[in-house]
Amino acid sequence: MKIMRAIASLGAAAVLLTGCGGGGAGTTVEKAPSGQPIQGTNLTYDPNKLVNDGKPIELEWWMWDGDKQFQAFADSYQELHPNVTIKTVNQPWEAYWTKLPLQLQSGKGPALFNIHNSYDATLSPYLESYDVDLAALEKDYNGAAAHVVDEKVKYIDYGIMTGLIWYNKAMWAEAGLTEKDYPKNWEDFRGIAQKLTKRDGDTIKQAGFNFNAAYNSLGFLQYQNGYNLMAEDAVTPALDNPGTLQNMQYFLDLYNVDKVGSKDFGPKAIESFGKGQSAMIYEWGHLHGTLDKNYPSIDYGTFQTPVPDANETPYAFDRYNGESTPGINAGADEAQKAIAQDFMNFFLTDKEDMKNLVLNYSLAPSYKVLADDPDIAANPVVQALGSLDRYIWPGPMPATFETSITKAWEDVVYNGVDPKSAIAGAQKTIASDLAKSGFTSAEPGYAHYAPSPR
Amino acid sequence: MTLTTRPKADKRPPEKNNVIPRKPRSRKRGNAGERTLRNTVIIVIGASLLLLTAYPIGLAFVGSFHYWNPLSGAFDFIGLENYTDLLSSGEFWSSLLRTGVFSVVVIFFRVALGLAIAVAIFSNLTRGKAIFRTIFYMPTVTPLVAVAYIWQMMYNPQTGAINTFFGLDINWLYDPNFALPSIIGMTIWKDFGYAVILFLAGLHSIPEDALEAASVDGANAWQRFWSITLPLLAPMTVFVVITSIISYLQAFVQVLVLTQGGPGTSTQLISYLIYEQAFVKYDFGYASAAAFVLLIFTALLTLISFRLSAGRKNSLEG
Amino acid sequence: MRTRIASGVLTSLLAMIGIVTVFPFLWMVLSAFKPNSEINAAEQNFLPQSWTFENFLSIQENFDFLRLFGNSVFLSVTITAIVLYTSALAGFVIAKYEFRGRGLLFGFTVGTMMIPWAVTIIPRYTMFVDAGLQDNYLSIIVPAAISGFGIFMMRQNMHAVPDEVLEAARIDGASEIRIFHRIVLPMSTNAIAALAIFQFLWVWDDYLWPYLMINDNANQVLAVGLTTFAGQYGTDYGGLFAATTISILPVIVVYIIFQRRFIAGVASAAVK
Repeated sequence: MKIMRAIASLGAAAVLLTGCGGGGAGTTVEKAPSGQPIQGTNLTYDPNKLVNDGKPIELEWWMWDGDKQFQAFADSYQELHPNVTIKTVNQPWEAYWTKLPLQLQSGKGPALFNIHNSYDATLSPYLESYDVDLAALEKDYNGAAAHVVDEKVKYIDYGIMTGLIWYNKAMWAEAGLTEKDYPKNWEDFRGIAQKLTKRDGDTIKQAGFNFNAAYNSLGFLQYQNGYNLMAEDAVTPALDNPGTLQNMQYFLDLYNVDKVGSKDFGPKAIESFGKGQSAMIYEWGHLHGTLDKNYPSIDYGTFQTPVPDANETPYAFDRYNGESTPGINAGADEAQKAIAQDFMNFFLTDKEDMKNLVLNYSLAPSYKVLADDPDIAANPVVQALGSLDRYIWPGPMPATFETSITKAWEDVVYNGVDPKSAIAGAQKTIASDLAKSGFTSAEPGYAHYAPSPR
Repeated sequence: MTLTTRPKADKRPPEKNNVIPRKPRSRKRGNAGERTLRNTVIIVIGASLLLLTAYPIGLAFVGSFHYWNPLSGAFDFIGLENYTDLLSSGEFWSSLLRTGVFSVVVIFFRVALGLAIAVAIFSNLTRGKAIFRTIFYMPTVTPLVAVAYIWQMMYNPQTGAINTFFGLDINWLYDPNFALPSIIGMTIWKDFGYAVILFLAGLHSIPEDALEAASVDGANAWQRFWSITLPLLAPMTVFVVITSIISYLQAFVQVLVLTQGGPGTSTQLISYLIYEQAFVKYDFGYASAAAFVLLIFTALLTLISFRLSAGRKNSLEG
Repeated sequence: MRTRIASGVLTSLLAMIGIVTVFPFLWMVLSAFKPNSEINAAEQNFLPQSWTFENFLSIQENFDFLRLFGNSVFLSVTITAIVLYTSALAGFVIAKYEFRGRGLLFGFTVGTMMIPWAVTIIPRYTMFVDAGLQDNYLSIIVPAAISGFGIFMMRQNMHAVPDEVLEAARIDGASEIRIFHRIVLPMSTNAIAALAIFQFLWVWDDYLWPYLMINDNANQVLAVGLTTFAGQYGTDYGGLFAATTISILPVIVVYIIFQRRFIAGVASAAVK
């Protein structure tokens, strides 16, 4: 009986331990704020009003990253409307995409949630359209018009992201390199990578270039060779092409022939770069936020991804993708939806917080008033992007593209599968997954669109 | 250990001379208090079985014949398609085979190590038994997720403890020749202590006179171990093997944390495949079909182990 | 003399295996006191070159570690207590009462042990979501409350309770429930201790179900929290080491407390 009593008291202690906490609902507001400046240019937000009749209300906002930057929006909004509590819930990427769709399907889920357009087809049925002045929105935001369907918009892009080469400044200097040495073509890149490599006999001490576990971004550089992802009909995947193979072969040669890195050195490129083991990696702009948060001591620079021939403009430098604004849950209750709508109006006109968000992910901002902002113009990543004109958008590419390509690269790099059959296998998986979800590529909308060479 | 109920004769309280029952009553019917208690237990267990096991199994079974995607709300009858897709998929069979290899190797080492260490600790020659008992059980009481993270860092080819300590240069989790063995190694480390404790318990319950009689007969320690200790530990071995089969066929967390099934699919175990189909691709129907095939394998293997142990017992007794 | 040598050899052999077993723990605990720069350095040292408590402080700050820890303790203790009681009661009834369908009931209950989570998790998931029990601890507690393994173990153990004792109590007019509480339970402490450790560990270790059922990070359990932490601060190894170190402690303490009874309890339950 002693045991039972011990357990009972432990249980009681545990209840006491966990019973507290939580709560923190907003306070009732009697009078609408007054004298607050109206923000925005064409699309505007007037904070001088009561929301939810001043009664306390709480809503959740889910995200997989950038919690600090998104929290700033929520904080600014709550300052204007203290009766509102916006609770941000941050989950890792995999968990986010496991749970959010199931939540939404069950008619629950957060009132606000961040969107990645690779899940467009999954989320779309659960999204409420923004209650905004569409004409003003289109005037203020680049590319907003592309998201308008039947005079309705469910989310837009707040910025554009793409891939770049990131280098460790200390290693760069140590190898006697300066800013003039940024390689323009892949041949020069090979030489620079060799200069940045340190070996002790056969053992690598410092990798000149590391692409381990970066296949989901690296695997799509076939555009540089003039090849699209999809066939001309825009619905049949066609990544089993010479351009994809050529691209893969180049990187394999960097490891196998030039020995500037190894599949076994720093199994995750980002981590290895952050630990100061690898001198260069290829990654998308979001790395900026990751590095600042997790590896504050690494001093890094960026330059535009090289091309096959520096004297010739490639078909496209790379693909790009839009970072989406939060979505409103159509299944949330009316009061919450009203707040969410009001909040989105605020979000889209909150210049200061938007600027920090854009900087955190190294985005080319979609909000036009930020285009000339000196801090954003000075951001090395935004500078490196150059003109977006020669970047292509494949559309809201379903997740299977990246996961299948990653599997194919892993099979080639680690399991000794030959590139041709690995890519053919990936194409087969993608085709069978697309058969269930359906996807039409936006490639034909590219200004310089040309069908893949035969 | 056996799952059948004991013969009813066992239950009869032996009559004792000094206890005279005031009123003879049938134990079969029982009194009112007994009935209430009995009925409560039956109802609670029955309800829980129906609601939390029978109903979900039924639903999963029906679902396995459908294209079942909770997101689109699809629940369309497609007959045996999930099963034919599954059984014709190379990925499924290789995952199943891999799960078999994984389970056999881990169970072998778990039993062998567990038995050897338990016997060693049990021996009168060993000092500091309590310390060893604690040490060997420590990995077992550590959450698997935590263990997986520790080992992931130990397996890092550049900064990990294993390569640093042994002067090796192996990319444990990314080399297809080492990835699955790495997961197996970690699982053995985590779980062998469980077998140590169970075998220790088994050793403690061996009647001392059996061993004493044998030493009087002139049997040496080795003979005593083979002819008396080991056969008496047979039920415990069966218990360890069966609980291990059940849990290793479902192993999943170590793969999720360490490799996500990679590189390629070289560490994809069957439960991880089910998890991916269900909660990443939302193909509940296909996942349910795979789960049923797994259930059949689990049941078969469990049954075989029971049969084998029963057969051995008979041959020992007869 | 011979036994002396044999004893030395055996003990040192065990000690060697013991060191291999403990090494990852030592490495983890020591690393928890290293700054991240040292953990990530190319040159690795077993002992921290400069000791720091920063990791322990930062996990609390970034992660509200104590909260998750408390959640896990609460759930583990509650479920363990419930399972102990239901298993002991069911084990008692099945072992000591005779009734029609007893074998069937026992067989089915034990059979549930064999069913892979993969079979039931999808329908259970839809069931609990439909019942509106997401983000509610009931969704974690209810499915765990009746344990096939627990009932099996306690039933085996009940054979150790002599029927004469029960009869004598009945003759003294004790009610069945009183007999269970006052006689059966105290006579089963070893088995209860053993089951307590098994059960506590399972709940403490459980990952997938709480991960699916609990969305609110503040109410999450530790095992899931660790993966969240790794996902968000993936590279804060110092923090991860510190979090892991603390997450192991309670289970080890529980084990050390119950150790002696545990082994005796396992013996009484698993061996016929």
